[in-house]
Amino acid sequence: MGILHAVLVAPFVDIASNPRFLAEVLIGGVASGLMYSLVALGFVLIFKASGVFNFAQGVMVLFAALNLVGLMDLGVPVPVALVLTMAIMVALAFAIERVVLRPLVNQEHIILFMATIGLNFFLEGFGEMIWGANVKKLDVGIPDRSFITAGIQMNQLELIAAVTAGILVAVLAVFFQRTRIGRALRAVADDHEAALSIGIPLKTIWVVVWSVAGLVAIVAGIMWGAKSGVQFSLSLIALKALPVLILGGFTSVPGAIVGGLIIGVGEKIGEVYWGPLVGGAIENWFAYVVALAFLLFRPQGLYGERIIERV
Amino acid sequence: MTGAPAARPLLEVDGISVAFGAVQALQRVSMEVGRGEIVAIIGPNGAGKTSLINVVSGFYHPYEGRILFDGQNRTDFKPYDVAALGIARTFQNVALFKGMTVLDNIMTGRLLKMRGSFVLDALYWGPAKRQELAHRAFVEKIIDFLEIQAIRKTVAARLPYGLQKRVELARALAAEPALLLLDEPMAGMNIEEKEDMCRFILDVHDEFGTTIALVEHDMSVVMDVSDRVVVLDYGRKIAEGTPDEVRKDPAVIDAYLGVPHE
Repeated sequence: MGILHAVLVAPFVDIASNPRFLAEVLIGGVASGLMYSLVALGFVLIFKASGVFNFAQGVMVLFAALNLVGLMDLGVPVPVALVLTMAIMVALAFAIERVVLRPLVNQEHIILFMATIGLNFFLEGFGEMIWGANVKKLDVGIPDRSFITAGIQMNQLELIAAVTAGILVAVLAVFFQRTRIGRALRAVADDHEAALSIGIPLKTIWVVVWSVAGLVAIVAGIMWGAKSGVQFSLSLIALKALPVLILGGFTSVPGAIVGGLIIGVGEKIGEVYWGPLVGGAIENWFAYVVALAFLLFRPQGLYGERIIERV
Repeated sequence: MTGAPAARPLLEVDGISVAFGAVQALQRVSMEVGRGEIVAIIGPNGAGKTSLINVVSGFYHPYEGRILFDGQNRTDFKPYDVAALGIARTFQNVALFKGMTVLDNIMTGRLLKMRGSFVLDALYWGPAKRQELAHRAFVEKIIDFLEIQAIRKTVAARLPYGLQKRVELARALAAEPALLLLDEPMAGMNIEEKEDMCRFILDVHDEFGTTIALVEHDMSVVMDVSDRVVVLDYGRKIAEGTPDEVRKDPAVIDAYLGVPHE
C-alpha cells in the first residue's frame, strides 16, 4: 500500500499543490526537449534525403561549435566568426559529397552508415587537432539570466533556444513539404537511380542537405555550447537525440520536435516528482526506456513513414 | 521549319563500345531512332540491351563512339543532363519512389518543368500556386490516360508489380519527353498486363507523338508494337529492320529464336 501510494498518489498531490512549480518544471522540460530536437533535426534531414543514418551528426555539432569558439578566441568578431563557421560547414558538405558520398552512390545504406562512422572519428580528431581538446566557453552574447514572470522562474537562454528551434522547424517542414527541392530530396532518399533519371542532380542535392544539416549543427552547437561549454562531450548529445528520433520517426521534421518535447518534459517531470522514490537520476535513462517501449509498439515512430514489407 | 531538320534522326548511336573489366558489353553498336518511331531493341539475355539503354540515358559512358541527340553530341552527359534534354526512361526492375504516393511519384516527373523560388514555393502563393496547379492538371491527364485514377493516393510500395510498372511509365510521361526509353516494360507481367501495356505504349505514341525506344525480351510483344527492330547478340548488332524482315533473318533465328523444331 505504502509503495502504491508513493508512486501513484503522492506525486500527483505534489503536482496539484504547487502549480507554479509545475509550470517551471514544464518550461524547463520544453526547453531542454527543444535542445534535443535541434540535434535530432540534423539526423532527420540527412536521413530523409539520403536514407543514411549520419553517425557523425553529434560530432558535426561539436565541430561547428569548436570552429566558432576557436575563431572568436582569435579575436574575430561574433558575426564574422558566425559567417566563417557557416562557410566552413558548407565547405565540409562539399568535401563530404566529393570524398565520401560520390564514390558510394547506390551502395547499401549500411555501407554509407559505416562511412559516417569514419567521418565521425575524422572530424573529432581534426577539430581537436586544430583547436585543441580543452574545454572552452562559448559566449556569443545570448543573455543567460534567469528572471521571474507571473511567479514563474524562467531562463533567457532556454527561451531563446526554444524560439530558435521553433522557427527552424517551421522553415524546414515547409521546405520539405512544399518546395520542389523538398520533393526532390524525398525522391533522392527513395531511389538514387530513379532520381537521376528524372533529372535530379544527386551531387547538388547532397551538398544542399549536408549544408543544411551543417547549419542546423551550428545552431545546436551555439545553444549547447552556451549551456555547457564546448568540449568533446558535446558530441555525446547525439546519444540523447537517438531516442528522440525513435519517438518522432527518422523521417519526420515535426516528429523530431514532438519527440524532443516528450522526452524533455517526460524526463524533467519524472526526475522531479518520481526521482526521489528511486534515489534520483531518472533523467539519465528515462529517454531510453521510452524509446524501447516505442520500438516494441510503434517502431516507425509517431510520424515516421510506415515500414512496409512484402512477404 | 519543315524538310531538312526533320530528316535527321532524333537519336543517333554511332559505333559505341562499353566494357566492364574484361567483359565486352557492347561492341561498336550503331543505331538510329527517327522522330515519331517506335524502335525495339531485342536480343537474348546478356546481349547488351540494357547496357545500350544505360548508355543512351547517361548511366554508362562508352569508351569509343558517339551519341547524338537532335544532332548534338552528348556522349559524356550525366543522367540528369540527359533528362534535361528530354529523354525519360523506365527501369527493368521498377525504380519508383516507394515511400511516396502514386501522385507524388508522377509529380516528381515534372520537377524539371518547374521553375520558381524557394520562398514562393514555401508560401504556396501566387505564381508558385498557379504553377503547382498547372502541373497537377497535366499529371491528372496522364493519370486518366493510363487508367490509374483509383490508386493515385496509394503508396507506391503497396502496388502490385504490373501497376508499379504503369506508374513508372506515368512518371516518365510526366516529363513530356521527346524520347522515351522503356527497359523491358513488360517483364514479369501476365498476359493481360502485357496486353494493357502494349495498348498504352501505342496510345502514348498516338496521343503525344512520343518517340519510343524499348528493350524487350519477349519477341511476340515487340513485333506488334514496333516500326523497326534492332537485334543484339553478345554485344553486337546482328540485324535491323522491320519486324517481318527481322523475323526472317537467319542470323536472328540462329542467335535468338533458336533453330525451329519441326
